[in-house]
Amino acid sequence: MEKQMRASTRIEQGTTVVDVVGQIDLGNSPALRKTLLESLKGTDRLAINLIAVQYIDSSGIASLLEVLKEARQSKKRLVLFGLTGAVGQVLQLTRLTGVFEIRENEEQALAA
Amino acid sequence: MSSDPRFLSIVRATVGQIGMVYGLTEDSCQGVTLAIDEAVANVIRHAYRNRHDREVELNCQADTDHLEFTLFDSGEPADPARICAQPLDEASLSGRGTHLIKATMDEVHYEKVPTGNQLRLIKHLPAAKVSVDGGSSAR
Repeated sequence: MEKQMRASTRIEQGTTVVDVVGQIDLGNSPALRKTLLESLKGTDRLAINLIAVQYIDSSGIASLLEVLKEARQSKKRLVLFGLTGAVGQVLQLTRLTGVFEIRENEEQALAA
Repeated sequence: MSSDPRFLSIVRATVGQIGMVYGLTEDSCQGVTLAIDEAVANVIRHAYRNRHDREVELNCQADTDHLEFTLFDSGEPADPARICAQPLDEASLSGRGTHLIKATMDEVHYEKVPTGNQLRLIKHLPAAKVSVDGGSSAR
C-alpha cells in the first residue's frame, strides 16, 4: 500500500485531471490542497481521480471542500471520480456525498 | 511516538492489523483506523498546536469483548464545548474529526489525568471471533 501521497496533473478533453495516489492525512493534505487549488486556477473543469487513494482523513476532506468552494465561487466545475470504499466511507460519515459531484469513472467524469 | 504526522501511517497500519486479528469486519477495521488516526491528528493539531517534537502515547488493550485504545498527551486539554460542536455541513472546513471518532467507536471518553490528557476509545468485538489464542493484551 502506498503510504505517501502523490498528485499529478494531465489534461483530457479540455478537463484538467488530477490523479491522486496514496494516503491523504494531516501530514500531506496541505500539499494536496495547494496542488488542487493551483490546478483549478488554470482550468474551467477540474476532475479529481481518487481511484488510487486508499485512505483519506478529515483534513483531506476539508481540502476537497476548500477546492469545491473555490470552484463554486469562480463558477468552475469540480468532479470527483474513482472513489474507493475507504474514501466513500469517510464521505458518507461526514454526510458530504451529496455535496460533491461524484462520478464512477473517468469516462463519466469527462462527459459530465 | 513524536507528535509528527509522519507517524500517522504507522499508527493506521498497526491499528488496522490489530482490528483484523481480533475479528473486526473490514468496514469496522477501517472505521477504527480512521478514529485512531483522527484522534492522534487532533492531539498534534490542537493539544500540541502543530508542534512535532512532543510525545504521544498510544496503547491498545484487548479484552474478550472489546478493544480499548488509550491516547495520552501532555498538551492543552480538549475543550468539551468544542467536541462535535461544528455541524456536519459543507460550510464547515474543520471539526469533522471528532464526529468521525464518535461515529466509528462505541465509547469515547475524554479524561484529564495528572500527567496530561487521556482519550479512551472502545470498540466492541463481534462475539467469538477473536482469532488469536493466549494473552489478549496488545499493549
